Amino acid sequence: MPRAYEAVYIFDSTLEDSAISEKIDRYHGMLATSEKPEVAHWGRRQLAYSIGPRENGYYVVSHFAADPTRLPEFERALKLDEGVVRYLITLHEHELGAPPQSEEELAAATRRDDDDDDED
Amino acid sequence: MRRPQKSCPFCESRVRWVDYKDDRTLGRFITDQGKILPSRLSGSCARHQRQLSTAIKRARFLALIPYIRGHQG
Repeated sequence: MPRAYEAVYIFDSTLEDSAISEKIDRYHGMLATSEKPEVAHWGRRQLAYSIGPRENGYYVVSHFAADPTRLPEFERALKLDEGVVRYLITLHEHELGAPPQSEEELAAATRRDDDDDDED
Repeated sequence: MRRPQKSCPFCESRVRWVDYKDDRTLGRFITDQGKILPSRLSGSCARHQRQLSTAIKRARFLALIPYIRGHQG
């Protein structure tokens, strides 16, 4: 059963844009997803703190639905790649993909909070 | 002593899930040193405070916000 994931990659900012796109396509190919992963390039930005000698990184965010059994192989490839400074893969399901809270839900949440307060 | 009720800034803006990629919003919930602001000060509800703390930790790992601010080297 495929699950929805969100991945953020930080690539070495000295890499060419075409090389980064090529790497992403290659890694996503390993996941064997039925739909094409949604990729958003944030581009080069300054890191909040230096990671080794690096002050900048090339950020890429992608969304995909993949079979969990494919992930270990995918992560191993990312880990071994010197061009990938860091990556983070998180589940992107349920609340994360959902729209903002509706009027009723907000009211329900407020009621719950009030109930909690009564106890103390 | 009961402290005065503060309204949760996330509930007010109808946020269902705190996004770890939104460094501008997260930046409002960390101190000058980079520590996570307690819900006592931010007014976040328990549900959003839990999400916030996970989001800040993820954002730190991705170098979107610093672990420590005002520290050289």
